[in-house]
Amino acid sequence: MNTAELLFAGVRWWLTIGAGVAAVFLTIGIDRIDEDARGAYVFRPLLLPGVMLIWPLVLWRWLRIETGAGDEQARYVPPRATHKTVAVLMAAGILAAVVLGLINRPQWPADFVPQQISGPGE
Amino acid sequence: MDKKPFFVGYLPIPEGLRAFLISLTVSLVVFMAFVGITIGATQDDPGNGAFRFDWRQQTVTGVIEFVPYPILRVTEGNERIPAGHTLMLTGQGKSTIRTRVQPMAGDLVALTGVILKRGELDMMQVAGGNRGLKKVDGPAPDLPAPEPLGRWKLAGEICDGKCLAGAMRPGRGLAHKACANLCLIGDIPPVFVSSQPVEGSEFLMVAGPDGTRLPDRAYDLVGAFVQLEGDLERRGDLLILRMDGDTMELMQ
Repeated sequence: MNTAELLFAGVRWWLTIGAGVAAVFLTIGIDRIDEDARGAYVFRPLLLPGVMLIWPLVLWRWLRIETGAGDEQARYVPPRATHKTVAVLMAAGILAAVVLGLINRPQWPADFVPQQISGPGE
Repeated sequence: MDKKPFFVGYLPIPEGLRAFLISLTVSLVVFMAFVGITIGATQDDPGNGAFRFDWRQQTVTGVIEFVPYPILRVTEGNERIPAGHTLMLTGQGKSTIRTRVQPMAGDLVALTGVILKRGELDMMQVAGGNRGLKKVDGPAPDLPAPEPLGRWKLAGEICDGKCLAGAMRPGRGLAHKACANLCLIGDIPPVFVSSQPVEGSEFLMVAGPDGTRLPDRAYDLVGAFVQLEGDLERRGDLLILRMDGDTMELMQ
């Protein structure tokens, strides 16, 4: 199996497991940890792609809430103090990525002349 | 109380913020236009490859061969695809047509599908069902044997033949690497774009040695500019490069 196939297989496994987690969470788990979701079903398919992507986080949050281990209130305190720094860093990062990408662009080997190493049957 | 102006989307703009907002808006529009034009201008020409839907579906008769990717040696063509031409074949999307045509290897068949064309490079996306693939009565005609052209050292890029021929724009380069690898995993025929024409052709179908598929090592360097060696042969008007994976090097 080459690297590309390995990556592809990894993504497929990740999403397959995510689909399993989503099936359980959206039918059982969400009712147990979010009283506002009880009796509401139409929105649940909308969560499917997101849960498939971040299923480890979903499982971890589910466990924390079920066991009462997390500080739920703290989760809703907006981390505004870091917004400005993060925004500047993200903008600078995007700019740096574009500039570095343009600087390091490989050059098409237009000058390379195809060379015949040996003739037919040699 | 602090009289600092505060922007609220559904209220009139505070006087103290009007000039700032207008200048920021204009600056952003100008900046984004500049960035867009700059990035666009630095990109390579994606080429003229495209699905030729304007030709509608084409039907040609020929003999299926595997090299090991499926090709059709056209024996009875039309005004756009002449007899003697060799067509690379693909299924819908990123899937091969291998399993459909495998039982008909060496047989005379009529294929119907949409043509993808980029210069001299072309490929047929065979239509689904019996409409796309029909066995033709009668024996397959004798075709010219593959013509060996010796061993060559080449520089260029390995791409997937379908995107390069026009399914995607751009259909090559690093930005297209992941898509190309998915196509190649789906068994779409790979194509090598040579730095300069080889035996009159800039595009060569590429495979592994001794009738094998593209070597695993090649997948890591798809979309990059590489140097490699391989044995060249001609089937109809299609050049096939049987690359030696051990000789493959990334060009700096």
